[in-house]
Amino acid sequence: MSAVLEVSNLRKSFGGIAAVDGVSFDVREGEILGIIGPNGSGKSTLFNCVLGQLQPTEGEVRVDGRVTTGMRPCDLNRLGVSRTFQLLQVFPQLSVRDNLILAGQEHQGSMASRLFGRADAGLGDAADRMIAFFRLQHLASTQAGSLSYGQQKLLDAAMAFMAGPRLVLLDEPAGGVNLTMLGALRERLQAYHSERKATFVVIEHQMEFVMALCTRVLVLAEGRIIAEGDPQSVRSNPKVIEAYLGH
Amino acid sequence: MSRLGAVVVIAAAIFAVVLPFFLKPFGLYLISMWAVLTVAAIGLNLTLGYAGQVSLAQGAFVGIGAYTVGLLLPIGVPFPIAFVAAGLLCFVVGWILGYPALRVQHHYLAFVTLAFNTLVFLVLRNEEWLTGGTYGINGTPRPTLLGWSTNKPLDFYFLCLGAMVVLAAATWWMLRSPWGRAFVALRENPIRALSLGLDTRRYTLMAFAIGSSLGGLSGALYAPLVQFIEPNSFALGMSFNLLLMVIVGGGGYFFGPFLGALVAVLLPEWMRVTQDYYLMVYAALIMVMMAFCPSGLLGLVDRVGRRLRSGEQGPAAAAFEPQSTPP
Amino acid sequence: MASFFQLLVSGLATGAIYALIAVGFTLVWQTSQTINFAQGEFVMLPAFFILAAMNAGAPFWLACLIGIVLSVVILGLLFKFIIVDPMLKYGVLPLVISTIALSLFLKEGAKDFYSSQAQPFPSLVPATDFHVFGIVVSLQSLVVLAAATATVVALHVLLTKTRLGRSMQATAQNPTLARILGIDVNRMVLYTFLINGALVAIASILISPIYLAKFTNGETLGIAAFLAAIIGGFNQVRGAILGGVILGVLDNLSAAYISAQYRGAFPLIILIVVILFRPQGLLGRIEERTV
Repeated sequence: MSAVLEVSNLRKSFGGIAAVDGVSFDVREGEILGIIGPNGSGKSTLFNCVLGQLQPTEGEVRVDGRVTTGMRPCDLNRLGVSRTFQLLQVFPQLSVRDNLILAGQEHQGSMASRLFGRADAGLGDAADRMIAFFRLQHLASTQAGSLSYGQQKLLDAAMAFMAGPRLVLLDEPAGGVNLTMLGALRERLQAYHSERKATFVVIEHQMEFVMALCTRVLVLAEGRIIAEGDPQSVRSNPKVIEAYLGH
Repeated sequence: MSRLGAVVVIAAAIFAVVLPFFLKPFGLYLISMWAVLTVAAIGLNLTLGYAGQVSLAQGAFVGIGAYTVGLLLPIGVPFPIAFVAAGLLCFVVGWILGYPALRVQHHYLAFVTLAFNTLVFLVLRNEEWLTGGTYGINGTPRPTLLGWSTNKPLDFYFLCLGAMVVLAAATWWMLRSPWGRAFVALRENPIRALSLGLDTRRYTLMAFAIGSSLGGLSGALYAPLVQFIEPNSFALGMSFNLLLMVIVGGGGYFFGPFLGALVAVLLPEWMRVTQDYYLMVYAALIMVMMAFCPSGLLGLVDRVGRRLRSGEQGPAAAAFEPQSTPP
Repeated sequence: MASFFQLLVSGLATGAIYALIAVGFTLVWQTSQTINFAQGEFVMLPAFFILAAMNAGAPFWLACLIGIVLSVVILGLLFKFIIVDPMLKYGVLPLVISTIALSLFLKEGAKDFYSSQAQPFPSLVPATDFHVFGIVVSLQSLVVLAAATATVVALHVLLTKTRLGRSMQATAQNPTLARILGIDVNRMVLYTFLINGALVAIASILISPIYLAKFTNGETLGIAAFLAAIIGGFNQVRGAILGGVILGVLDNLSAAYISAQYRGAFPLIILIVVILFRPQGLLGRIEERTV
């Protein structure tokens, strides 16, 4: 299996303090890689560097063998790398359907075709299918801002999938979601993964969620990878236990 | 749009066509001014209300458009060409003015655009060889189009109304296209928009360029309407006025600028009874409105309608809440 | 060379007044996120309070005192409670609109209730010129410079050397933390509004003898305050002082040596350059931001 994402020796420091300190890993096609670690271990910084939101101090990121370090997030996204955010990031004044159309519209055609072409950019059906997949049909024309927190999380994930990405990075998808909704979210993510053979990277706090969802897990502490392996072996790794329980 | 909204818009359209036949020249001048300023306000509403980019320079673009037409017509350029030239020039200048918006936002952007407005004013005032300096340009002729002379106030009003309707329709088309969605995304959450593949740079510049070009087209009608243009008309006061129109009408609502321009043009006339104090009263009304309904008149209508229907909370001024620190 | 120094001195005098206005503007901005577009009118208005008091028979010094008190009450206290407080919850833009409307209101008010003509305003000192080494310096410039400098120094001492001042600075820089430290944040914010009221009154007394008291004075003064505040650094009182002085001197020198017609343009160009390449201002700090 080939690597979809290769991160080599990535380093990011803020004012001399390294938040990510020389991290290297590959993400293989079709896997669900979990990245866990205590608060402040550098998970989100790592994500932001991979996604072009932050400029890494050192190191290289490749997507399908192509160097993407320094690329703008929008160009990276159009290469098929998509993400969700830790804090809610939907467009509150657009309807659920418009949120989804927006998530797909920039992946096709030109600026001119988006101005003169169809209002829904030809994505109306695709958006409705995505809405149905995430079971939000009754909310399709509701403003996203008036959805419940859990529903917005579902929408956020749906937006990340809208353009049929090759690789999806999910930043704490379970954060703040209640237990019922959490089950639904995990089940939908798994369903999407097996249906589309997509590749996921998941940052998560919630251990149960990671263990149930991921096929492989990396553990980050103080900006470095301290353990790697399948969920079971990582869970019983003494270094991991120490990192989580404190020094 | 709700059914009631459609009825109101159709009634207003009929009114706009029938009313002028019963007006004296000054009344016609006022409603022509309404149509002209509405175009500029639609442009600002696009930049500010939809795309969320604060601009205090719309008056300068009206000025650039007015001077373009005022200078081109006397040397024999036909009006339609001068009109398009005004729009194109402002598109280019607006595009350039958009670059600062890629670096700074909110109040910083307000100050950059404010400074730009004052620079334009200084150029208009000082480059006498071109602009006539403080004496301005007198007697810009009203055009004759395909044998139709618009010299009379009534004819010129219909020219302004026609231009307004065409430009408003074009804007409406754009706002319901994927571009409109992208502009709103830019206002609501530029970081998320970027992560969904939106080239936020390009859309930001477009929002500035198109909004400014509407300002220029408004100016192209302004010059033959008032037939005397001078730099002071396009100083900061004009930009503030246009900003007030957008906000009073309701920023981010398509029909906001129509209503805002109507209030700004007619209210002073209705308040003539208060004599010299009308500007004070106008200013005081705006302050009261900002305190109770910052989303403007249409925001108020929206809120009342929502409450009548279901009691749910409206988005209120969320459109203008700063999302985070300037990127 | 002599004329250069003359221009420098008068530029410093104007700059010192700009600094007063900009410091007040910055303080209010820092503590309550209020971009006061009426700051120029705030400087225009106290001169009319004073003239009105003199018309009512008060001697100049008493009229000045009355002017300062009125200014603190109306432009400080009432401004905060009536305009700013009800609107803070809506974010920046509605408040900006409201202060723009307020500037129109004050300007028209001065015109309608006092006069649309420029009014002579009593000078603090008689019009005397000094001749030093061939340089002519007016006593007025020196007094303005001295008074403005004294005010700014007094304010600086208040802000940095007293407990109250440090509490105010803490409030300006991090209201949340200040609250945790037990500082009465609301009271500190109120104080900055009152200080602004006093500063604009002093600026008004200093500048009106030169410009005459006119209802349109605020237009240029307000922009000068923004320029000074941004050039110096929005989040620094010291920056506003520096920005004001730079602006005054530059304005005078560029008018004399480069182009009188484009006098107003140079500060604007500097403003644009500063915002684009050093948005935190010359002395400002970069505010941390996260993705």
